[in-house]
Amino acid sequence: MTEYKHPDNKIPLFLPHSSVSTELNKTGSWRYVYPLYDEKTAPCSAACPLGEDIARIELLVSQNLIADAWQTILIENPFPAICGHVCFHPCENACNRAHLDAPIAIHHLERFIGDTLSAESQPAAIQPLPPNGKKVAIAGGGPAGLGAAYFLSLLGYGCDIFEASAAPGGILRWGIPAYRLPQEVLEKEIDRIKKLGVGIHCRAAVSSEMLERFKTRYDALFIACGYGRAIDLKIEGAHRAIDGLQFLNRLRSGENVSMTGTAAVIGGGNTAIDVARSLARLGIEPIIVYRRRRQDMPAFDPEVEMALEEGVILKTLLAPVGITDATGTPTNPNSGFSIRLQKMKVSATEIKARARVVPDGDTIETLQVDHVFSAIGAEPAETWQHVPRGDRAPIRLSHCELIAADVPMIYGGDLTNRVKSVSDAVASGKQAAIALDSYFTSGGDAVKDAVASCGVGPGPAVSMAIYLGQTRKERNPHIVAADEINIHYFKTAARMKAPIASVADRVQSFLPVAATLSQKTVLAEARRCFNCGICNACDYCRLYCPDMSVIIENEQRTINMDYCKGCGLCVAECPRNAMALKEEGV
Amino acid sequence: MKQVTEGSQAVSEAVRLAKVQVVAAYPITPQTHIVEMISEYCANGTLNARFICVESEHSAMAAVIGAASSGVRVFTATSSHGLAYMHELLHWASAARLPIVMAEVNRALGPGWNIWLDQTDSLSQRDTGWIQLYCEDSQDVLDTTLLAYRLAETVSLPVMVVLDAFFLSHTYEPIDIPDQKAVDAFLPPLSPRFQLDVENPAAYNQFVPPQAYMEMRYNIQTAMQQVPQRLERMAHDFNRILGRHPHLAEAVQCEDADIIFVTAGTTVSTCRQAVARLRAAGERAGLLKLKMFRPFPVEFFRQILNGRPKVAVVDRNCSFGASGIFAQEIRAAMYGAESPPQIFGYVAGLGGRDVTPETIEDIYWQTKNNHSPPAENMWIGLDPETVASWNDPA
Repeated sequence: MTEYKHPDNKIPLFLPHSSVSTELNKTGSWRYVYPLYDEKTAPCSAACPLGEDIARIELLVSQNLIADAWQTILIENPFPAICGHVCFHPCENACNRAHLDAPIAIHHLERFIGDTLSAESQPAAIQPLPPNGKKVAIAGGGPAGLGAAYFLSLLGYGCDIFEASAAPGGILRWGIPAYRLPQEVLEKEIDRIKKLGVGIHCRAAVSSEMLERFKTRYDALFIACGYGRAIDLKIEGAHRAIDGLQFLNRLRSGENVSMTGTAAVIGGGNTAIDVARSLARLGIEPIIVYRRRRQDMPAFDPEVEMALEEGVILKTLLAPVGITDATGTPTNPNSGFSIRLQKMKVSATEIKARARVVPDGDTIETLQVDHVFSAIGAEPAETWQHVPRGDRAPIRLSHCELIAADVPMIYGGDLTNRVKSVSDAVASGKQAAIALDSYFTSGGDAVKDAVASCGVGPGPAVSMAIYLGQTRKERNPHIVAADEINIHYFKTAARMKAPIASVADRVQSFLPVAATLSQKTVLAEARRCFNCGICNACDYCRLYCPDMSVIIENEQRTINMDYCKGCGLCVAECPRNAMALKEEGV
Repeated sequence: MKQVTEGSQAVSEAVRLAKVQVVAAYPITPQTHIVEMISEYCANGTLNARFICVESEHSAMAAVIGAASSGVRVFTATSSHGLAYMHELLHWASAARLPIVMAEVNRALGPGWNIWLDQTDSLSQRDTGWIQLYCEDSQDVLDTTLLAYRLAETVSLPVMVVLDAFFLSHTYEPIDIPDQKAVDAFLPPLSPRFQLDVENPAAYNQFVPPQAYMEMRYNIQTAMQQVPQRLERMAHDFNRILGRHPHLAEAVQCEDADIIFVTAGTTVSTCRQAVARLRAAGERAGLLKLKMFRPFPVEFFRQILNGRPKVAVVDRNCSFGASGIFAQEIRAAMYGAESPPQIFGYVAGLGGRDVTPETIEDIYWQTKNNHSPPAENMWIGLDPETVASWNDPA
């Protein structure tokens, strides 16, 4: 710099000034609190039945590391694509981003990851542990059985699945309509289980006798036959109603169903919605008849919303009391049914999440339709499929129950799950695998603690990554609350618009309702994620440190305690609560 | 070019003309208009400066300290509680020898909560090592601000340009706004004596032991003592280039005066009118305008007041338990003068109460009618009923 000649003579200046390093002054000795990197649990991951590491997955997606994101899902869930299509995504309800603008579209992002990686030649999946010589027989090839086989295989167990029907998949194959889950997605994901060496024996319905024989050939049994029998309507003329689940099964088998006119679908669960939406696609006008109110329906709300968009009529607070042949309906002059419906009202005495309803006087309505479907729920088909009660009290876990014996039996899937969802079924398989493994390695008394020690946050979700002692084990179980996010670091950004087909297109076919997202949309959406509780290397800790005490080596951040004064700026600035301040010597 | 300008805007225009590079401020009435206009200048590109929004006055001063340490021209403005909040850093700014210029709008401190004129806020900061310059009108504000930058950068000390709340900050009057070229000729770009430099890492203002601390303080004192003569030279330069002579102190009809008023700020203008009226009535009144309070121009005061019979100091401030602060300073300055006058200290116009020409005339007659001051300080215009009410034992 050239010296500028100032018009005024400057006066003498005496200032303390030093070019010597101040390293000698170890300011760390002043510290009474210290910062540390303390990764915590994101609320989405704790809400996920499978405990997927969503905050990390979205971080990887935002960096366009889709294959890494896929691997991160696979350690917790063998079915990213399936769940990306069918999961009811409770994760999004827990998303902290809702407090700023709208939750991250976690469900759509998972589908993108699953669809993208299924389409490509699959990269090396999770490497299983070496075989431990133990074999497990699995009754039922649905999501719980497949899930158990996957996780047991990862832990080194040999598995044989015994499936009653002609192909594995259970509800995924026979119950969920194709517009929600295309067949090729299912096949690719089941292939992943087969590649692990799991024996899948179809048309091999398990009986109680077979179960006894299995006890001599296997080291453990996993019972996840699901609910094989529809619950009877138990009203006059109930035989006139078509069983909803069987109907869905016929559609998935490719049977050419030809129907016209109107149909009543009795029930309020997901099966009732699947039946009604399938009927809409066959050109039939479906009417759902439910005895409680809309908000009481066990069906997942987004599904109900889509059904209503597609023209499904919902009649609530009506309980069927009888079905008779009709002498004619407006569309079919010579056939049809007449359903007598008792008007119901919410009982004033008991209001719960799902209201109790009682008859509202003697009011009876009559509904004339061409077809009647029953979808009021299902139950275990055989008595041995119930978890035994009595002297052999099982070890009860959130998603399965284990009966301690020389050959332990473990019940899972819909037989034990409170929430009957695909994700909960797979979660049951994972929990069973962890329970069985800890039973074999540490005994029955250790099972509950072992399962609890790999929990994601305080909820029921368990993590295989944590069970296997991966770095996720270091994560603090504290769930990051919305007010622990340093909101000043985030700008509002609109949630991506879901690529949902128009209603007119949707009801024309059984093609998927939602398209896979574009990569551009996916990256933008993933960048909205707060990455609650995990370090995304944003570097604000280092930038704000007044003592230059944040050191980066091999992409790992550490604090130089020689100089850290414990001011806590790094912790206060961390946008996502991935740090903590602790008192010295406590 | 003459332009009708608000007092606050006179500051902003000076800041623009001084080509300030970093501004940090926190809003407080009645300072707000100053930084509002500067922020607009920054936003629309009229002024190529970084405007740092901060969360407090403490941070505003910290931010300009940081910026000035890196060798750029800086500005901030505050008032009253905001200034009090800066107190710690005012000491830092002066001892770190940073040429910071700050506009300070004289406003009362609470409680009682009051946004109007009172000089106690700036006078409470008299020992912080800042140069303090009090302004009479908008032209004075603009000229003084420009002068302040050259002064600060010459003696390496910060300067506080002080203006009255509302009477000056929010009053419009025609003033001459010089062109950029003329200002550039008077005020060259800052050539820092020292600056933080990433190429030459160094620490400033670290630990200083007793062996050196005192010399450091003495260095500040000698710099302060240089200010009057430096300022006088700059004022000549200012006059040569910009056509006006800013006075660091001004004596009006003092030569033959029996009673000389001393005051600062807009009250000076009021006094000018009162003196003219008294002179017209045959009274020998005079006025000494106090512009520079720190450093205190002792020599000038001795020169003007020595041998005059009486001085009436009008303080719009009070150091409780002593007296008006200007009166104290003048007493101290005149002690040891050959023939010091009788010094009458008046406290008037606190918290925005009007001081009119009639008030000044009252002070004149009180001064004339007493042979010597009846008390250390005399409070003007108190409501006798209110005062009586708290004295009444009932």
